[in-house]
Amino acid sequence: MTGVSNPLGAEVARQLAPQVRFLFGCDVADPVSALEEMDFVHADTRHAAIAKLIRQLRIDTVVHMALTVDSAQDGRASHETNVIGTMNLLTGCTGPASRVERVVVKSSQAIYDASPTDPSFFSEDMVGPEREGPSATRDLREVEQFVGEFALRNPHCDVTTLRLGYRVTEETTLAKYLSLPIVPTFAGFDPRLQLLHEEDAAEAIVRSVLGEHPGVFNVAGSGVVLVSQAIAIMGGRPAPVLFPYGRWMARVGLRALTGIFLPGHLADVLAFGSVADCARLAAEFGWSPAYSTRAVMDGFARGKAAEVIEAPSPPQEYELQVFLQRRRRQELRGHQPGSTSLVTRR
Amino acid sequence: MTAEPAGVMTEPKKQLKKRSRKAEIVKPAPQGLRMPKAVRRLQRNAPAYAMQGLVELSTRLREATGHEIIDLNRVMGFVQFAYQQRELAQRGTAYSVDDFGFDPQWTESFLSVFKVLYRDYWRVETTGIENVPAAGRALLVANHAGVLPWDGTMIKTAMFVEHPHPRHVRALVASLFMGMPILSWFLRRTGQTVGHPDDTRRLLERDELVLVFPEGVKGTGKPFKDRYRLRRFGRGGFVSTAIRAGAPIIPVSVVGSEEIYPMIADLAPVARALGMPYVPVTPFWPWLGPLGLLPLPSKWRIQFHEPIHVETYPPDAADDRNLVMALADEVRETIQKGVYENLKRRRSIFN
Repeated sequence: MTGVSNPLGAEVARQLAPQVRFLFGCDVADPVSALEEMDFVHADTRHAAIAKLIRQLRIDTVVHMALTVDSAQDGRASHETNVIGTMNLLTGCTGPASRVERVVVKSSQAIYDASPTDPSFFSEDMVGPEREGPSATRDLREVEQFVGEFALRNPHCDVTTLRLGYRVTEETTLAKYLSLPIVPTFAGFDPRLQLLHEEDAAEAIVRSVLGEHPGVFNVAGSGVVLVSQAIAIMGGRPAPVLFPYGRWMARVGLRALTGIFLPGHLADVLAFGSVADCARLAAEFGWSPAYSTRAVMDGFARGKAAEVIEAPSPPQEYELQVFLQRRRRQELRGHQPGSTSLVTRR
Repeated sequence: MTAEPAGVMTEPKKQLKKRSRKAEIVKPAPQGLRMPKAVRRLQRNAPAYAMQGLVELSTRLREATGHEIIDLNRVMGFVQFAYQQRELAQRGTAYSVDDFGFDPQWTESFLSVFKVLYRDYWRVETTGIENVPAAGRALLVANHAGVLPWDGTMIKTAMFVEHPHPRHVRALVASLFMGMPILSWFLRRTGQTVGHPDDTRRLLERDELVLVFPEGVKGTGKPFKDRYRLRRFGRGGFVSTAIRAGAPIIPVSVVGSEEIYPMIADLAPVARALGMPYVPVTPFWPWLGPLGLLPLPSKWRIQFHEPIHVETYPPDAADDRNLVMALADEVRETIQKGVYENLKRRRSIFN
């Protein structure tokens, strides 16, 4: 599993750990919370070594979450992580030495971008081969093209791509933007917004890891809220001051005013709206996100109003967990010397 | 400035916050300048006094001239609109829009104004409203004219004024307008969506009444000399969609919309530079500025024709180009015939 150090990755790892025999996580950053059952290593998907890692460890299920969509990084850095990272990872999954049977890729609704000519709902096959639009959209299209090619070349392998909807948690740009006291919006636009709850996002990934659901799926909450409504729920006030044409100017202005850097695709969404059709998810998984868009928004507003009671786990806890893990592994090795059958799916 | 010293207030306040979070009645802070009581009472009662004065004036004028100079029904339309807007402002975030961004309550608040336009300004006569089903899906297909899409507005209003079971009509608009500020926001919120086959199908599957103008901007942007000559009906895509969704097609012919803005020229180079489909020149626009946007009070006739039951065809008939084009032609012919018949019925543009 890649990208375990981002909050969603950590949550997925936490849920997966008790359900699989062996969980191996990697990321460039330290994990946000310690997990006893998970082996962690600092590995960068941008280096080809990740392929060797997959083969050596005889991994059978790869969960690829190291994709940056919503970040203040410049386009080139994200391109490295997203496109080159996915390429290296998939290289590790191909070839006779690989035992990979299932690949789950976390993609994003940002792949659709948003424009006035688009229909009101995006379904999974509305992604064309064209390489235009904001950098995140271009990257994701390239990534999904790699994934699609991989799926074609390896028919024995289940490949699931989940296009997760926009999320509002403390870290996302959208959340920071919506919780401003006075929110500069695009003048004359009040688009629809569709959101996905963090729990639903994690559950969708866990379900696709444990079940057999090959294909591409949109994952997003039901219903929509208007941007002005979302701002009002957060207790802010919309200020229609951003010029809707030439949106890079508005992005620069917003950064200067509030310090929030809107990625290009998010600026398009805040002007034209992006709503995904999740009928395929409901049909194939037999499951739909539990939180509607409105519930996500209300929940986030309530969370903002409440005081933080629980402090994040102290740094010693991580050390402790690592120690316990090492102990456990030594015991295991004692029982089965030279064991290689660790890597099996449940 | 508050009268309490700051040091005394801070500590008990903190404790209170920790112990309980009881709801308290918060009185608005006194503003800088408070009007005298008499003035405030006057402010509060101003709308009622204005209404009383208007009623009095209306009665006096009627007695003096023997004609209805100020029609109170019309005035009430605007008063209702103002009050509805205030009510809407008070609902805060406690409303929901459907997946297309449609807000029915907000849309209905505009109806009181549109009804005044419908009854008194364009004096719309509607026939054949019984052809529109009270429930279930149907596709309304109408001719498109007038520089601004007032015809769509009037068809929507007709459903509310004339039909025994008022329903919202969901119109499809060119994607071009969805990219324009204010328009995109207004159109979406009042139930319109992009003219995309996928959107049409979804709306029909939700058993909505969908209105489509197959002529598109070719219809609204045609010169005055070509009035009431229907343009090409797209590529018949609306017929395929209706067959696939199993919805009857109801042709609608509108007469009167052509004369609201007589377009004598089109500034095509300007339009191209601005990315607009056309920039019209009428006898009043752009010479009179914003006043030129006022539509002329022509006499309107809207006729809903007998439904064409395309839902009797199997869904795969939608791919039969011959059938689709034949049906599209049939719809176009029905509308064109209806337009001519209604034109014969009127004596002048304004009558």
